[in-house]
Amino acid sequence: MSVDVHAPFKKRVEQALSDPALGSAVERATRRMVAARAAAMAAVDGERLRNQTRQMKEYVLRHLPELLEELERNVKANGGHVHWAQDGEEANRIVREIALQASVKKVVKSKSMTTEEIHLNQALEATDIQVVETDLGEYIIQLAGELPSHIVAPVAHKRIEDISELFHEKLDIPSTLDPAALCAAARAALRREFFSADMGISGCNFAIAETGTVCIVTNEGNGRMVTSLPRVHVAVMGIEKLVPTVEDAILQLQALTRSATGQALSVYVSMTSGPRREDHPDGPDQFHLIILDNGRTKMLEEDYGEAMLCLRCGACLNICPVYRTVGGHAYGSTYSGPIGAVISPLLAPDKAQFKELPHASTLCSACRDVCPVKIDLPRLLLDLRADLVVEGAAPLPEKLAIRAFIKAASSRESFERAGKLASAASNALASLSGGNIHFLPPPLNAWTQSRDFPPFARTSFREWWQERMALRQRD
Amino acid sequence: MSSRDQILNRLRRTLKRYDLRFPPENPTPLTPETRMAVTHAEGDRWALAERFGQELEKLHGSYSILETVAEARMAVIAQLLTWLQEDQEQRRTKVAIHELDWDLLLWEPETLPIPGLAPALKDLDFRLVLPQDLQDPKERERIYPVRVGITGVDAAFASTGTILVAAGPGKSRAASLTPLRHIALIPLSRLYPTVESWLAEQRKQGSLADFLRESANVVLISGPSKSADIEMNLTLGVHGPQQIHAVLFDDLEALIKAG
Repeated sequence: MSVDVHAPFKKRVEQALSDPALGSAVERATRRMVAARAAAMAAVDGERLRNQTRQMKEYVLRHLPELLEELERNVKANGGHVHWAQDGEEANRIVREIALQASVKKVVKSKSMTTEEIHLNQALEATDIQVVETDLGEYIIQLAGELPSHIVAPVAHKRIEDISELFHEKLDIPSTLDPAALCAAARAALRREFFSADMGISGCNFAIAETGTVCIVTNEGNGRMVTSLPRVHVAVMGIEKLVPTVEDAILQLQALTRSATGQALSVYVSMTSGPRREDHPDGPDQFHLIILDNGRTKMLEEDYGEAMLCLRCGACLNICPVYRTVGGHAYGSTYSGPIGAVISPLLAPDKAQFKELPHASTLCSACRDVCPVKIDLPRLLLDLRADLVVEGAAPLPEKLAIRAFIKAASSRESFERAGKLASAASNALASLSGGNIHFLPPPLNAWTQSRDFPPFARTSFREWWQERMALRQRD
Repeated sequence: MSSRDQILNRLRRTLKRYDLRFPPENPTPLTPETRMAVTHAEGDRWALAERFGQELEKLHGSYSILETVAEARMAVIAQLLTWLQEDQEQRRTKVAIHELDWDLLLWEPETLPIPGLAPALKDLDFRLVLPQDLQDPKERERIYPVRVGITGVDAAFASTGTILVAAGPGKSRAASLTPLRHIALIPLSRLYPTVESWLAEQRKQGSLADFLRESANVVLISGPSKSADIEMNLTLGVHGPQQIHAVLFDDLEALIKAG
């Protein structure tokens, strides 16, 4: 992996930019998904779909406590168990307890960003439980010992040559560049795991309050395997991943799949309402839903609730020029791209942990235009930048520069003096290079790396005005 | 105070504030009148069947449309024999195949919309693995190598080539999930233009919520399993079936006789 997620932000970006293979892989993945999304939304009344999905989610957020209680009631009535976790540590503790009570040795998982957020795999492996990721992309990531780089396409940063080498080494199959052969190898390897696992862990794309149903969306079928074959099923959901009714679920589903990969529907939409019934031939005997906060109530309190509308579709990642240039690992967080730049600082106990991310944006607003729930991401990024300054997390040079400006602008005389100084200095520099300034001293040299800096005018507007008025009075 | 109460209290406290710019004060929920149907399909049941087939083909599935139950039964057998032949040819070329048995994983024959199918298959020496065989967890290993699953559907939706299968007595989840190939039997009486139209009908009958809950597991399936994780190249049959063949047939006569 070319990007070290533990390195500081600037270093991560440099590493990403200096790896052409990463760049082309990310470009290929995102270009496809951008085109697919556009076509899928154009094939239906895409604007109406976005408006209605947003409307529904706004209602959900306004009534979140009641809907969560309704969900809990119904999951319990279905024979399932409901657990609440304020943070990741608590959630992991709960999963470990469930595993202990059920004598679980092996877990199979379908892709879940929420479980990545709380580092669930590590918590389970620490108690000698084997965890197997079953989403093909996540499985590859796990074999490689890496982190996913995209919400929907976790191996967007890998080329087929990398994957072939990995499988050759870890699965002991001959090297091949045939995707079907690689896929068949993964299928066989994972098939054994599915059938021997004691517990399946999934995320939850959305839960339906009125029926106590957890919906999982996959194209591969591993979501179904994970939630049907092992005897225990645990689903982890963020508190905001809720819809009121079945019809709302189907609406949100279509907004999600069309925005994520440009599909009318994903191949499998699995809707689970508790454990299997007594007279059913197969299915898990135990169902557990873990409702996770982990910073979401704080996000609402700090008035960033709009970010809680997110469906986790990845459309904003695919269209973002920053993401497309550096890929997901450069963000150094579970969540990358525009939404990641917003929620990573908000979900963290201290925003400053991710202080560079709100600045990793040109505010071009392409993300807002593709978001299925119309989150005003640029607005949220700007607000975060302001909050970071208020909380003292601005870089020192910036703080000093602002302080200097405040001093200079605090009276007319000092402002005039500063202006005269700037004019004299800039014109002196400009005369050295015949007109425009080619080189500014650090830290301003970042500006002149790719463009010139014009000199200030020789006379200020005030001076010019006073001269003119004097001239007029004479006439 | 429990985590549950802390989370709920915190939410309630925050939502009471007047200075919160989000969420809006009085958002309107969507209602059956206002909620949109995302996709559309028109025509009589034959037109819908054709539309279903075309959508399924776009998703790399295949289909046959038959006019009677008897023809449908023959179509199922024909498809099985075609696959059998394809596999034999593959073996001759020594391509490694993982699941070798010609067992069939079926839903309970009473739940299938084609009567007489199970005996016909047995006559042709197919071995049927039925849901009761799955009750013993050790016996579950039997389903591991089965190559073909045959199920009915609870509904099908023409506009997206989607089938809806619910778990239930005699209706195993595995039959449409673990085999390499899946045959879905779709009587036209269960074919709807869109998923929204089916939802509306169930809601009107007052059975939608109960259907979801009593099934414990309801799945919408649109085509064979696929992934584009490897360099955005499409591969089929990642975990779920690699091939799905839909047999659509007119059961109107059968319904009239039964009714």
